[in-house]
Amino acid sequence: MAAVAAEDSELDVDALRREAETLRSRLEEERRKSNDVQLRDVASKLEQVPSLQMKVRRVLKGHQGKVLAMDWSTDKRRLVSSSQDGKVIVWDAFANKQERVLSMPTTWIMSCAFAPTGDIIACGGLDNKCTVFPIDKDMENPERKKRTIAMHTSYMSCCRFVKSDYQILTCSGDCTCALWDVDSSQLMQSFHGHISDVLCLDISPVHCRTFLSGSSDKTASLWDIRTGRCVHSFDGHDGDINGVKFFPTGESFVTASDDGTCRLYDLRADREVALYTKDCMIFAATCVDISKSGRLMFAGYNDYTVNVWDVLKCVRVGRIYAHDNKVTCLQRSPDGTAVCSGSWDTTLKLWA
Amino acid sequence: MISKETMHHCEADCQADLQGDCSVCALSSTAAKYRHSKMSNSIAQAHKTVDQLRFEAQIERIRVSKAAADLQAYCEQHARDDPLLVGVPASENPFKEKKSCIVL
Repeated sequence: MAAVAAEDSELDVDALRREAETLRSRLEEERRKSNDVQLRDVASKLEQVPSLQMKVRRVLKGHQGKVLAMDWSTDKRRLVSSSQDGKVIVWDAFANKQERVLSMPTTWIMSCAFAPTGDIIACGGLDNKCTVFPIDKDMENPERKKRTIAMHTSYMSCCRFVKSDYQILTCSGDCTCALWDVDSSQLMQSFHGHISDVLCLDISPVHCRTFLSGSSDKTASLWDIRTGRCVHSFDGHDGDINGVKFFPTGESFVTASDDGTCRLYDLRADREVALYTKDCMIFAATCVDISKSGRLMFAGYNDYTVNVWDVLKCVRVGRIYAHDNKVTCLQRSPDGTAVCSGSWDTTLKLWA
Repeated sequence: MISKETMHHCEADCQADLQGDCSVCALSSTAAKYRHSKMSNSIAQAHKTVDQLRFEAQIERIRVSKAAADLQAYCEQHARDDPLLVGVPASENPFKEKKSCIVL
């Protein structure tokens, strides 16, 4: 009885596997057909980027441990950073002052985020949770009012507010991403599909309906926030994808990976369209962001540097010996005037 | 001492099913249920994979030449507004020092 059922099931699984193989070959063929030209060739007639004069403008000292994450406030002047030492610091970057220092009960705060209004910050990491603190001007003791919003079954690698103070997206070492309601701490949607730790996420700059995730399974996925469905999945990298960032149009994105390369993928062409690397580059790229016009890409690496790339010509146009240890996080300010980088050397630096 | 029947007994012949244990290898019905559900899980997983691939296969794709042209057009259109690309004078960039000395 069981034997016959088992045999039938095995046949079903085989048939499905064969169909999957056929579909995969078809997809590869379609993607190959659309690859009619290289981006760098299209851009060869463009003028070169003017030589960059980036200097360190601020050094934010205050963390006692490795800086793991940072996020700018929409007011373009404050930023929040989190560290291995369990501290989360809110800085006034213009004045180089610490506005608030929050202590978390655990170490390794792998992500932190500023809410759009600037009144809340979210953070979390090895505690598998995302915690929010109110930090509006009148808040005397934020630690007393903290709340746990999200619970994962493994470390939380990244958290971001979804265009308002009311919803947070998180991604985790438990291979999932999740959308949470801040007020009720309810799970609103979960996103399954990655087969290994999800390390980074970025929300579409154009609307709040989609977001990207990058994973240890070497793929980046685009998700529909409302339905939980994976809309596109992109491979090509040979290592964990540590950073992912939408291009300003929302139709392309860049990734930074353990394989030492950054890549540009286009959603409408459904494939990788550019590769940013040099032969000597063997250190992992850990974080990436793009300038306001999309022409420049900044990436932080484990060799303590930040490299600046011409996105269109696919060449490196600058190399900043930024820190005394691995660069872990990097973000361009909201008005595009500066780039902030954070490092294991316990500092954050602003470049402009 | 294992009997000849047990040694030649294989999964296909196993009499264990959702109702009762197998008299030959003593595989219990619980284990049979587990094996059955594992099989259903792989089918469910395979269905999911095929569904996802079918969904991705019917997406309309544009050519890289068009994508590249659009990327380039956006960059050129917004180049002027990119402080990191064209640079802004120190007086306009809050992060560039304007003063040459600090009054303590």
